[in-house]
Amino acid sequence: MGEATVPLLELRGISKNFPGVKALDDVSFAVYPGEVHMLIGENGAGKSSLMKVLCGAYTADAGQFFSNGEPVAIRSPADARKFGIAVIFQELSLVPYLNIAQNIFLGREFRARISTRIDLPGFIDHARMHREARKILDLLGLELSTRTLVHELGVAQQQMVEIAKALSQHARILVMDEPTAALSERETERLFAMIRQLQAEGVAIIYISHRMAEVFAMGDRVTVLRDGRKVGSRLPGEATPDELVRMMVGRSVDMTYARRFGNCDGEVILDVKDLHSENGVHGVSLNVRRGEIVGLSGLVGAGRTEVARAIFGADKVTAGEIRLFGQPHQGSPDQAVKAGIALIPENRKAEGLALIRTVCDNLVLPGMRKVFPSRIYKAARARKIARDLIERLRISTPSPFRAVQVLSGGNQQKVVIGKWLSSESRFFIVDEPTRGIDVGAKAEIFALIDQLVQQGAGVLMISSELSEIVHVCDRAYVMRDGRIAGHLAREELSEENILKLGMHHE
Amino acid sequence: MNRPPATLAGVLARVPGVAWILGLLVIGFSFFSRDFLSGPNIHNIGLQSVILLILALPQTMIIMTEGVDIAAGAVLTLASVVLAWVLVHGGSLPLALAASLATGMMFGLANGMLVALLKMPPFVVTLGTLGVAQGLALIVTDGQSIVVSSDALQAIYNGEIAGLPLPLAIGVAVYAVSHGLLYHTRFGTYVFALGGNPEALKLAGIRADAYLIAVYVLGGLMAGLAALILTARMSSGHPTSAIGMEFDAIAAVVVGGTSFERGKGWLFGTLLGVVAVGVLRNGLNLLTIPSSAQVACIGLLVIVAMLVDGLKGRR
Repeated sequence: MGEATVPLLELRGISKNFPGVKALDDVSFAVYPGEVHMLIGENGAGKSSLMKVLCGAYTADAGQFFSNGEPVAIRSPADARKFGIAVIFQELSLVPYLNIAQNIFLGREFRARISTRIDLPGFIDHARMHREARKILDLLGLELSTRTLVHELGVAQQQMVEIAKALSQHARILVMDEPTAALSERETERLFAMIRQLQAEGVAIIYISHRMAEVFAMGDRVTVLRDGRKVGSRLPGEATPDELVRMMVGRSVDMTYARRFGNCDGEVILDVKDLHSENGVHGVSLNVRRGEIVGLSGLVGAGRTEVARAIFGADKVTAGEIRLFGQPHQGSPDQAVKAGIALIPENRKAEGLALIRTVCDNLVLPGMRKVFPSRIYKAARARKIARDLIERLRISTPSPFRAVQVLSGGNQQKVVIGKWLSSESRFFIVDEPTRGIDVGAKAEIFALIDQLVQQGAGVLMISSELSEIVHVCDRAYVMRDGRIAGHLAREELSEENILKLGMHHE
Repeated sequence: MNRPPATLAGVLARVPGVAWILGLLVIGFSFFSRDFLSGPNIHNIGLQSVILLILALPQTMIIMTEGVDIAAGAVLTLASVVLAWVLVHGGSLPLALAASLATGMMFGLANGMLVALLKMPPFVVTLGTLGVAQGLALIVTDGQSIVVSSDALQAIYNGEIAGLPLPLAIGVAVYAVSHGLLYHTRFGTYVFALGGNPEALKLAGIRADAYLIAVYVLGGLMAGLAALILTARMSSGHPTSAIGMEFDAIAAVVVGGTSFERGKGWLFGTLLGVVAVGVLRNGLNLLTIPSSAQVACIGLLVIVAMLVDGLKGRR
């Protein structure tokens, strides 16, 4: 389909840089009328960045758009809209205290009229807006009132409103970012029927997906992105799921942080059985032994962080059992800390560090009880411990008394992890430890985590970087939709295997 | 949607906290003071509340954008001083009103541009302009009242339209215009979006900055308009006349159920909140409780209103 015609929109050589990251690197890409063009790739492959460039939210640093051979400028959301591009966002672009109709037509409100000739500037024709909104909801089979405020809706219903909003624009190009992630089967079918109808009307659809089944069921063409570059395009008829997965992962392997793997037959430190939480964990069982680093992998939104939060007591556990060092454990984060769990969070600036305090203060904080058994703070002792740690961890700071916020990201992360070395924690949950850190510092961070393990701790490591899981972990669990999709022992651990488990094949 | 069944308890649970509080205040004060429910006193409450209402309505919109304008009282004061100054120096009332509105508008514009374009925190910005407005008011007046003897100005305060005192009529008009703006125009829709999801507005290709500035400009204009009634009531422009009135205004907005988060706001709630604050002040006056203690009571009112809404499980 679409082979014979000229592309509706063609992107040539699109690049987009952020400080330290090449989000898009010379990506060229074309969509034809009446085609469903699937876009797949690992976390951070550049799918969402490409989508944001398409809808004008990002301006590309280099590259051009063409339509029917003519260059077109898309530099703002208004440009994209004028050209006929509508986007169904995954991060919802809805306003909570406006109703469904107001959200669908946000920015495109119908003008109220005094007579058939004269507009009433600035005023909105609510009656017409609700009529039009009703039509779209009916098409999608939504029985909600158009006057319902969006904050009263559940996630799936909000996603449907988001879809309705995009459909109402009668766009020539419809971009969807994992539209089915929150939808039930029935709603998904409705959406697919809509897509087929739009396709027949000549609308081009760019569809970002994590589900292989969708790629093959809906796609007329698949483009694979990896590390901000386009790996290639295929027709689904010519490709197998395995081939696509290989295209997604085949990255040059960076061995700088490969570690030696010991025998992991230590005692079980953490044993989780059939854990359910109020925040989207549905029956997770896993364990971590002394002296091992266990990976928790999966695509973004699979529920990895939620598992960590449930174990740590930050989210309420609704069912299941957590045993820590053989003892049943359940309760609030401070009980978790007393029991010896340390959570090293994803967002170090907000949760892991006292940014305006000194390196010394930050390093000593978690170990207060052990360092000062008398419960009286002794500056000299704190200084000595901090100096030792700074040397051991090779934290580059002008002095122990500089504020942490002046350090580089890598050095901040060393402080976040290093501070636990002075504490008595024996079980660590590390969430995305290398986010925003350059390659050199990554190796040191992993050396540090390895050091924790050598001291007899157990580590559960969450990471979106598949290569990190493969090269650092003794074994790994792969999550999907809040459940464990599978377990990979050391010898089975590969990016391909992780992706196969993490993607939807149903 | 998931509406609770229409039992009596269910209906009562949906009555907002501010209505309960207002009811209790009215019952309480009428019990303690015989004058409270008299015609002249109700008339009085209305007149006293009008200025507060004119400040609180735009404040509602500003708070809905996750902002705040703590300069409102000082800008009102300065506008009142400017209005009196123009009248004393031989200007006509329309000219004086125009000067007052322009003063308010300029401060609103400054607030809005600093908040929207330079992304400065609204609290800090308006703290700064509060100081500027207050200082200017003191400079213009040299710390003294500017006494005005203008028949036209008196006519504003004592006049009537269709049996309604003119200040009250102005209040009704301002409420009607605010309601129309918030619920029937694009501007109003975008006020909800500015607090609820400004990103959505930008992705829709709307100049969110321009609308945010407009919200603050509206606040300034309303302060300029309120200055007309304030100056007429006092027959003078005094450099501290409305200092601290933003406290009452913000309290009324919050008591009325508008939230500092996610663009949740309710204009009618603000009206109830204004009346609650007005009733509280008036009742305490009748009971001869000093003004300083009244401030403490308004503070308590805010907390009680939050508690009532919190207990009802509304977020």
